[in-house]
Amino acid sequence: MTELHPLRVVLAKVGLDGHDRGIKIVARALRDAGMQVIYAGLWLTPEAVVRTVAEEDADWLGLSLLSGAHMTLVPRVLQLLREAGLEHVGVIVGGIIPENDIPKLLEMGVARVFGPGTPLPEIVSFLREHSGAGHA
Amino acid sequence: MLETLLERFRRHDRLALARLLSLVARGEQVEEILAGVGEPGSGAVSVPRGLARVVAVTGSGGVGKSTLIGKLIEPIRAQKQSVAVLACDPQSPLSGGALLGDRFRMPARPDDDGVFIRSLAAAGGYGALAEHLVDLIRLLEAFGFDVILIETVGAGQGDTVVRELVDVLVLLLQPETGDDLQWEKAGLLEVADVIVIHKADLPGAERVEAQVRAILALGTGSDVPVLRVSSRTGDGIPELWQTIAARPLRRRRQQSGRDLLRLAQQTLAARFAAAEAAGQSDLRQLLAAWQQGEISSAQAVSALVRFLANELET
Repeated sequence: MTELHPLRVVLAKVGLDGHDRGIKIVARALRDAGMQVIYAGLWLTPEAVVRTVAEEDADWLGLSLLSGAHMTLVPRVLQLLREAGLEHVGVIVGGIIPENDIPKLLEMGVARVFGPGTPLPEIVSFLREHSGAGHA
Repeated sequence: MLETLLERFRRHDRLALARLLSLVARGEQVEEILAGVGEPGSGAVSVPRGLARVVAVTGSGGVGKSTLIGKLIEPIRAQKQSVAVLACDPQSPLSGGALLGDRFRMPARPDDDGVFIRSLAAAGGYGALAEHLVDLIRLLEAFGFDVILIETVGAGQGDTVVRELVDVLVLLLQPETGDDLQWEKAGLLEVADVIVIHKADLPGAERVEAQVRAILALGTGSDVPVLRVSSRTGDGIPELWQTIAARPLRRRRQQSGRDLLRLAQQTLAARFAAAEAAGQSDLRQLLAAWQQGEISSAQAVSALVRFLANELET
């Protein structure tokens, strides 16, 4: 017996940049779309992010990076997720990601990269369409 | 599937705990889960322990509930006690969505298995959350946490409901929050077990404390501690935890009866629904007799209770 339930999405910034405007706007949009958004904050280590995903029983993890450190931090998060038994959690990435890096991130296991200017409904519908059955 | 989860829970798997909390928060399979995790301290979990100390922190939005809870984790861990936090934020009545932004004010301790923080969306009003709160507390207790800290959505009348579910209710006030009449109106002072004048590094904290003490002095024999605490400087944090830890555990004394009644109500409701769905003829006749006025409501109630009790035994 599984009823429809809202998606739980952890949004976090890893690494050292302090630009949280974008991630807060995404948080608002996902909330308004009926999702439960856990805003984990700034300056997190990959370990802290994965711990949050575990404790919050999240369906999705959204990482925002504007520091240029995505090719170091994102694979680290993905690796820790696998080690923690959380490979079922989908990962999306936003922020400033150069075109050339996007295929590499997707190759590593990121579900999608959303750059600046992405219409918010696009993120909402992506999460809905790529979530398993049983979600509202 | 649930069996596997419960088995992992009993082996102290934190992911299983997280998933079971989700199910219970949504009200799914609650009875099966609670039966499966066993009673606290029963040894069902690999580290058998006693009952947890359950502490709720309440106060209006912006008074610093999340920050203070984050600070309280330190003295609790220093005493080698494990702690779980349930951080509640409101759910939008329009979209059903929620922005849960409490945990980012609590320090991340990714290596510390003695800390578990979980955000919860509280549906409209308070009743819905309180309904599941008992069960969430029981789940965390069965996992073996020594202390459970609950951050409420914010001050309001719902706090009287929460008070019944916890051992200690801590009320946060801050300087510049209106005059003493405001607190009289809110009626919050009377439900608090500990009162904290938070942000005590700001000017006006002494005055607020004096006002609170004056109000409490009007009451009859109130022994509610009033403490000035600053999360910014850390002043008063260790004293606050000592005060909380010294309070008697209310739930043990008063709540077991209510808990039992609630469980009995759930069981009877489930039996009723099952009998109704099965079109049980005794129940149908009883309902028809009552609807047509052949028997009074009082008679119908006692007949129904007898009927459901028989259903239980068979």
